[in-house]
Amino acid sequence: MELNIQNVSMTYPNGKQALKGLGLDLRSPSLIGLLGPNGAGKSTLMKLLVAALTPTAGTILVDGQPLEKAERQLKARLGYLPQDFGLFDELTVTQFLDYMAALKGLKQPKAAIRAVIQAVNLEVKARVPIRTLSGGQRQRVGIAQALLGDPPFLIFDEPTVGLDPEERIHFRNLFSRTAQDRLVLLSTHIIEDVQSVCDQIVVIHHGQIRFTGTPEQLIASAAGHVGVFWEKDETQEQGLHITARVNTSQGVRCRAVADQLPPYVQAEEPTLEDAYLYLISREAAQ
Amino acid sequence: MGKIFRYECRRLLWNKFFIGLAVVLLLYGAFVLHAVTILGVAHTAPFSPWSFGDYLSRMMPLLWIGMLFFLTFYTSPQARRTAILTDAAPMPPKQYVLVRCAAALTGGVLLSLLCMAEAAVFYGRMFRWYSWGSLLLPALVTLLPALVFALGSGWLLGRLRPWLVYVWMAVPFLLAALSLPEAFGLWNGSFFTAHPLTLGVLDPDFVLPAAVLAAQLLLLIAGILLLQIAFRAAVPPGGSITRRAVRR
Repeated sequence: MELNIQNVSMTYPNGKQALKGLGLDLRSPSLIGLLGPNGAGKSTLMKLLVAALTPTAGTILVDGQPLEKAERQLKARLGYLPQDFGLFDELTVTQFLDYMAALKGLKQPKAAIRAVIQAVNLEVKARVPIRTLSGGQRQRVGIAQALLGDPPFLIFDEPTVGLDPEERIHFRNLFSRTAQDRLVLLSTHIIEDVQSVCDQIVVIHHGQIRFTGTPEQLIASAAGHVGVFWEKDETQEQGLHITARVNTSQGVRCRAVADQLPPYVQAEEPTLEDAYLYLISREAAQ
Repeated sequence: MGKIFRYECRRLLWNKFFIGLAVVLLLYGAFVLHAVTILGVAHTAPFSPWSFGDYLSRMMPLLWIGMLFFLTFYTSPQARRTAILTDAAPMPPKQYVLVRCAAALTGGVLLSLLCMAEAAVFYGRMFRWYSWGSLLLPALVTLLPALVFALGSGWLLGRLRPWLVYVWMAVPFLLAALSLPEAFGLWNGSFFTAHPLTLGVLDPDFVLPAAVLAAQLLLLIAGILLLQIAFRAAVPPGGSITRRAVRR
């Protein structure tokens, strides 16, 4: 499966330009992490990819075919978990998945439903009405419906929101296993999720792509720009972007990113989070 | 398609609202039958098409509300949030809208049948009268155009703004308060009580003046046209069902 996003722009009717001339190639198998601050355009990009919105300029090709013409073929191979979604509260988990399986035209829905219920650890809740589920359980139903029928292209927008740490790790591993033979696009604010499973990262800021590459490449780009120091007075923080402040018995230890580290800052190995924050802070400074 | 239809019917018909509405409908129906219909309208028998038509007209505001309430299952903000998931499925949007429309219409028809069944039981118990065939025409001309119009107009209004569906529920009450020309007498029920008196005979046969028939046909056609407009609005050319909602 291959998607080519060619010079895509999206301006909403209220005049807000969410994406500006975006270009990107996505090829399976891959697990791509989509990063960016709130309002960067991540969700808009995902809505464009599932044909919920039409770009105001540019083209999206699905295996070489324009998306407008290949919408149905795309949807037949798509599993989508949006950031904000509703469920039919009056149906049980199994009934809702059966409904979605019918919409997706699955030939053997029972086996597929059993498999996804097991994958998201909802066996105990399979026969209870959705209205009785907690937020995390509802999120798992959302993930289950996206996985129904083993679609070759999966889009997850903030999939681990509302899940506890143990569940988050479970789903991180599930996404990683799923991406072995498929194309998975994962949008999240949790850098840790991206670092541990994604083989590619795309950073969007102000509707434009600021970085594409591997997590290692992003980390390498921040080498020499990350350091730590003991906080003595507030003037020390000028020109630095503080990423962490830890209160210790010896004082406050700060971690910071900057274009040029001052002499009192001791350089450290960057993490993916440092690298991401360095990239975004550099963009903001420009 | 069949499975989606069954699930949609289940969603619409197996809930507290439907059961509550059915109970209210039956209680109000019993009140109308025992207080009004039993006396007959316009000097006709209680089981005449005129009296039965009057009974259905009195039930119409509740049936109208029921029909529109079914549509709120598809137009509410919660339903729009669910549509983001269903819209990403490959089922053709027009088919999906059609199935949901059919489910809502089924709900409306079931409520209507409930009213008619109650009247049938009433006629049987009170008068040992079972010639229900003569009541089909007044039932059809009173209910069908109104329910199809409620479906079409309600669907369209609900897609524009969900709260408009609730405002639209008040229409029959407004019409009942208005003095309409005889041609539109079926819209507020005045036809069944006023027209037999103009025929100059006691217990006249049921006849529909051309103007009344034309008004009902107009209502039915308007309902069908509105449904078509609503389908087109829901499915823009080459587009998906929620595209406009998401844009908004």
